[in-house]
Amino acid sequence: MSREKLKKATSATRRAFGERMKEVGAVNPDFVVFEADIGYSTYSHLFGDAYPERYFNMGLAEGNTMSAAAGMAAGGRTVVACSYGVFITMRAVESLRTYICYPNLNVKFLSSHGGVTAAIDGVTHQATEDIAFMTTLPNMKVLVPADSRAARACFDLALATPGPVFVRLMRDPLFDVYPDTESFVLGGSKRLREGSDITLVSYGDILFQALEAAEELSQEGISAEVIDMYSIKPFDREGLLSSIRKTGALLVAENHQQRNGLGYELATFCLKEQPVPFDNLGLADTFAESGNYVKVLDKYGLSHSHIMRAARTLFNKKRGA
Amino acid sequence: MAPSASLKERAARLEEIAVEVRAHIIDMIYTARSGHPGSSLSTADIMTALYFDLARVDPRRPEWPDRDRIILSKGHGCPVWYACLALKGYFPLEVLKTLRRFESILQGHPDMRKTPGVDMTTGSLGHGLSLGVGMALEGRLRAADYTVYVILGDGEVQEGQVWEAAASAAKYGLDNLVAVVDRNRLQMDGFTDRVMPMEPLDAKFRAFNWQVMRMDGHDMKQILTTLQAAREAKNNPVCVLADTVKGKGVSFMENVRVWHGKCPNKEEYEQAMREIRGRQP
Repeated sequence: MSREKLKKATSATRRAFGERMKEVGAVNPDFVVFEADIGYSTYSHLFGDAYPERYFNMGLAEGNTMSAAAGMAAGGRTVVACSYGVFITMRAVESLRTYICYPNLNVKFLSSHGGVTAAIDGVTHQATEDIAFMTTLPNMKVLVPADSRAARACFDLALATPGPVFVRLMRDPLFDVYPDTESFVLGGSKRLREGSDITLVSYGDILFQALEAAEELSQEGISAEVIDMYSIKPFDREGLLSSIRKTGALLVAENHQQRNGLGYELATFCLKEQPVPFDNLGLADTFAESGNYVKVLDKYGLSHSHIMRAARTLFNKKRGA
Repeated sequence: MAPSASLKERAARLEEIAVEVRAHIIDMIYTARSGHPGSSLSTADIMTALYFDLARVDPRRPEWPDRDRIILSKGHGCPVWYACLALKGYFPLEVLKTLRRFESILQGHPDMRKTPGVDMTTGSLGHGLSLGVGMALEGRLRAADYTVYVILGDGEVQEGQVWEAAASAAKYGLDNLVAVVDRNRLQMDGFTDRVMPMEPLDAKFRAFNWQVMRMDGHDMKQILTTLQAAREAKNNPVCVLADTVKGKGVSFMENVRVWHGKCPNKEEYEQAMREIRGRQP
């Protein structure tokens, strides 16, 4: 599935999530939405315009926004709290840890600008440590939809899942991979391409880089299996195991710090369950920078060419070459 | 107490209960060998007035949706909360002896999932007013007529998030929210006005569009009349500045910094209990 064959997306995942939130709000009056003054960017304003009595814009005060969401949820209410990933997961992390995750309250997070998908905005707005923070919190579940269909499904999934759920979304439209009928479950994954030589695991925007890499690798005679690990926590242990037992090599690529992201999680898992040649791509203990998204991805080692290079090396290592 | 009871009778009854609350505070901290006596004693009269007179609560129904909410935002003072809840009947008095013990329902700082009657987990300072804002918004959304009381420390108001919460409470005109500042003038490292001056607190809250009231936090009649007025106030949230004494009721703990979080030894324990009991009518 080369990038040319992928369908160009018309909607970013943040927008699809916001649109779904509004749709569900029409039939489910039991949840409310908290925003911290970026409603026109997170698209939570769609919900707010339709149901102003269930929409609370708490202004530029993410700590208060998240703790107030906890107070509301303590009464049994489900709250969707919206902001950018950097602010939710770092400025307000203690509210999430101590007042939402510890009492296991029903707060769902619409977290936009995940990874360097907000490339042009620069480092201050690029959430490249969010997965590390969120997966570390007990009771927190973490989802990352790769396209609009997945984003809509992740809204439904978050609402239906008890306790806190973090959904990482992207700033810009990329590609659509899933049909409107595709279903998603907590702890599930999608095998988007069958292969026998190496397993490529990714999520969110880097999934498309992995698909393109797999296509080009096939022309070199390397058969790569591509898995969309949209449910980061919990992740699909059985799906991963069956794949790496077949391929015998695992490469994880993610738009996140290399340290403490999904790569580290899966490396630990493999060491315990099924040691195989392994590598992971992510930001190498560095911040990124402003600029064109594609150029930023390539400079920081996240583009398909980097995935191909790492896959070749792993493939050769596996064969003992 | 009968509704016809006079203010004097209500206050006299509460003063007797407050003696028991203080005795349990010292007893449980002495038993646990750890805890915050000074911070607990300064709010003993306010918490007693809430649980045994003003607040609409029912120990047989800790999850009653229409109950008033009480959030002890200065969660380190939880011995006062636990003592009130036990005396009110949320759990047996013997449980107080398990404070801070392994697998106890009485955690070192309050846990809403472990302790019946604890409406919200607290302990990390600066969040309680935000939590109260959320609860008050929920009450309004459900058209419930409960009041949310948040007890803040006067050191705690140095946390910036308190003021984010104050702004949001005023934005939504949360007149079902009452913040009580335990103005005992001491925090962990010393006098609040030296560690980080925050006065004039009344002008600050007023500037955030709150109504401000002031009371002697150890005068039961004042506590009853002020908190009642705060509950009935309309249109704006109310902040009650309660002038209190840290360690109130135990002479050697009063206004002494180290008793913020220190456990008494045997002699100190016995003297404290004598002083508290000695004040009983």
